[in-house]
Amino acid sequence: MLAGNMSENKTDVPYGTLDLLILKTLDTMGPMHGYRIARRIEQVAENLLRLNQGSIYPALIRLEEQGWIRTQWGVSETKRKVKFYSLTRAGAKQLNVEVANWERATALVARFLEAES
Amino acid sequence: MNLRFAVGRLLALFRNRRLDGELEGEILAHLEMAELNAIAAGLSPEEARREARRGFGGIEQMKENHREQRSVRWVENLLRDLRYGMASLARDPGFAAVTIGLLALGIGANTAMFTIVDAVLLRPLPFPEPERMVRLWETPTPGHHNNTTTLTFLDWKRQDTIFEALSAEEPVSAAVATGADPVRLSGKLVSADYFNVFGVTARIGRTFALGEDQPGATPVVVLSYSLWQTRFGGDPDVLKRDFVLDGESHRIIGVLPAGSFDRDEARFWQPLILAPIQLNRNQHWLQVVGRLRSGVSIEQARAKMSSLRASLGAVIPQKKLGFAVDPFAQLLVGDTLRRSIYLAFGAVLLVLLIACANVANLVLAKGATRRKEMALRAALGAGRGRLIGQLLTESLVLCLLGGMAGIAVAYLLLHAAAPLVAASLPFTADLSLDLRVLGFAALAVMAVLILTGLLPSLQTSFGKLSSSLNQAARGSSASSAAVRRTIVIGEVAASVVLICGAALLFKSLAKLEQVDAGVRIDHVITMSTDLPSTAYPTPESATTFYEAVVQRLRSAPGVEQAALSLDLPLQGTRWGEWISLAGVKEALLVRVKMVDPWYFATLQIPLESGRGFEERDRAGAPPVMVINQEAARFLSSRFDMANPIGRVVGIHLPGYGPIPESPVSVQIVGVIRNERTGGLHAPEEPVAYVPLAQVPRQDVSLVVRTRSEPLAAMSGIREAVRQIDPHLPLGEVRTMEQVKERSILWEKQPTWVVGAFAGVAALMAALGLYGVLAHAVTQQRREIGIRMALGARPGDVVSHTLRNALSMVIVGLAVGLAGTFALTRVLKSLLFEVSALDPVAHALACVLMTLIGILAAWIPASRAARVDPMTVLRDEG
Repeated sequence: MLAGNMSENKTDVPYGTLDLLILKTLDTMGPMHGYRIARRIEQVAENLLRLNQGSIYPALIRLEEQGWIRTQWGVSETKRKVKFYSLTRAGAKQLNVEVANWERATALVARFLEAES
Repeated sequence: MNLRFAVGRLLALFRNRRLDGELEGEILAHLEMAELNAIAAGLSPEEARREARRGFGGIEQMKENHREQRSVRWVENLLRDLRYGMASLARDPGFAAVTIGLLALGIGANTAMFTIVDAVLLRPLPFPEPERMVRLWETPTPGHHNNTTTLTFLDWKRQDTIFEALSAEEPVSAAVATGADPVRLSGKLVSADYFNVFGVTARIGRTFALGEDQPGATPVVVLSYSLWQTRFGGDPDVLKRDFVLDGESHRIIGVLPAGSFDRDEARFWQPLILAPIQLNRNQHWLQVVGRLRSGVSIEQARAKMSSLRASLGAVIPQKKLGFAVDPFAQLLVGDTLRRSIYLAFGAVLLVLLIACANVANLVLAKGATRRKEMALRAALGAGRGRLIGQLLTESLVLCLLGGMAGIAVAYLLLHAAAPLVAASLPFTADLSLDLRVLGFAALAVMAVLILTGLLPSLQTSFGKLSSSLNQAARGSSASSAAVRRTIVIGEVAASVVLICGAALLFKSLAKLEQVDAGVRIDHVITMSTDLPSTAYPTPESATTFYEAVVQRLRSAPGVEQAALSLDLPLQGTRWGEWISLAGVKEALLVRVKMVDPWYFATLQIPLESGRGFEERDRAGAPPVMVINQEAARFLSSRFDMANPIGRVVGIHLPGYGPIPESPVSVQIVGVIRNERTGGLHAPEEPVAYVPLAQVPRQDVSLVVRTRSEPLAAMSGIREAVRQIDPHLPLGEVRTMEQVKERSILWEKQPTWVVGAFAGVAALMAALGLYGVLAHAVTQQRREIGIRMALGARPGDVVSHTLRNALSMVIVGLAVGLAGTFALTRVLKSLLFEVSALDPVAHALACVLMTLIGILAAWIPASRAARVDPMTVLRDEG
């Protein structure tokens, strides 16, 4: 990254957490299309996060292949045919797993940081 | 990775285009919405579009990212690894050649051996419902099998609630005119039911019809496929032709399908017509095969047969004689053959194991040098599974190439071995590489893959890869060396087992070959004839022929002495009879040989007492008999007959042609030294000789002693016989040396097979040892250099390496010797006058293996001694 961008004090999406963010978003907001998901993530992050909106599409396809989300065709605000994504039961379970993993990881890191200081 | 996921990805391969289109649409919709949002926020349309694109990120990059993710990555990885594996083999052709060669040898030998195991032991007989096929015997005493008599056979045949088909068979041979010299063909006389027993129908024409085995029927013949091909050139109109056997014309009614019957000794089949004179219960001459009715078990058949036996008490006076029914398959494969095959298969499996060990060793050695590469790949993010996958794929490439080469090796081995072993295998054994065998080869490849691939993979990947970046640069890794040493110890152990087995078998074979046959072996040639009933209808005609042919032979060039006899030494004696003494209830079972007056002289069997046969012992003269020492011993111990000469005994002797046996009183006139009648390993048996002139036979053998190389005299012998009877073919021309050779074939073949495998195993173990030591020396160059710089002499370095080798060999020997004790039970039954624990053979195996070990260690050791400390220390210091 260029130094200029760093001044904005935004972070990239932590590696491997985009899936978690998407699953959580669908869990709280219900079915929505790609653009809404991307916007919602940005809004919740309140400009702390630098998200390439395009990067959510490969993630969505990956999640669908895993059977964690399903798609339905719907119509966007611009009257275009787009996919609406929603959480499956397996996805809901996976979300719990990912949340637990994340909490474990952060707790571990936190403990190290405490020990260091 | 769950199944659904995997299937989804696979399907994705086929719907890439559609997915790309869908994605395109979603991106467009996304950008439109982002633009609208930006305009709503107050940006100009121009700026809004730019902002939307900026927020989205690189579109092409994203698409690429997506494509990569949805493709079936493991397929791509596999293909990449395969390519990589091939490339890495091509970079190291020496390694590739050695490993593929080892695997080809191991897999090839195993596949060839499996073909034999499968054909002889595993596969059901190539006939419909083979479990219904049986053989029927008389048992004169329990456990003893004998042929049956005509009338008993006919009694059996009437049990048609049990047997769907029942047939007697009797081997024959017939003269067939070809060019200048007539040849003899083997055939069989069989009941009309015979082919129903086997469930075989003719390929062309038909087999025998009911009634064709009754007296007065037109003479007909069925040909084997191979005879049809060789003699009639596969003529489709062969049924219109006649076949002249022994000068008599036979109508060809059918040709059998190709297959089992081509491996039978018989080339043609004729109906067995039972002459009225043969309808008796004295002549035990018929072999009987049958097919049980469907649903009838062999136990039911046995029960029925024993009740039949009980009902025949009045006509069969011998109390102990019973009837036996055995599965046909069981009798085709004798115990010796079964054990020999298992032994050879065990040996070849050991060879495959050793080959695998060697390959694993080579891969490990290569792996050690690749630790750096692996560590680098791990550091760059390759998962452990991915690394193991790559190594396994490389092993797979090796194993597949080795397997393919192995199948070629198996084909060549079978091609070379089939004619050699065919005589020892049953006629139903079809030695060809079919799908079953290829399936076995595939299994072998899988097993080899696991053995050679998994261990090195785990070894390489589980090692602390992070540390190997440093470690590999400096020298050996201790754990890899330990594994490789263990493998070599295993190889040495397996080789010792094989060498030991081979040593025992060779010692046994040597003992067998030293057995005194009791007859002259060198400069003797033998051949068989069969006087056709058409040309020799009376006993007088046969006797005239005997005298004339011996007379003529004796004046043939190079011939010293000539004689005639029924049965040759070492080949077994067909006739067995009871000798009875007046006033004594017990009788003595002896083998009976009909010989002419010159037989003992020709084979140089010395007379112990009394006289041999003379020309005066002819038909009409008082019947006489000569017995061997063994018979004399029995007579003296059992019947208190201290001097048998001059004593008169009773015996049943067969008449000429179909004339059955009749009781005769004969006088014992001489005792001769034992000749080995039943084979070198068979115990001596009591034998009674009677003059051929008094008991003439049609199927006699000629025995000729020559002055020089016996085969060179053959043309003179043929000419002499032709002068007496131009239509009489000579069959089975063999020198006595060949006869002896054939009699120990069953001992010789497994011995040489195991010996060859032992040699290969020892060679492979030596190679493995060499590999480990050479690698160790390379890795320890620095250490050796330092030691030499500190004053160690080359001799010390050599002895260090040799000690290293010997320590492995000695542990291997200990393990191997323990293994040989486990083999004792298998080997014991195959050994002749050698204990399975024979210390000499074991010591020999150990010494041999140690020598091989030292030889293998010598090159690396001397290379270690030539290490120049200066160079090494400067190189790596």
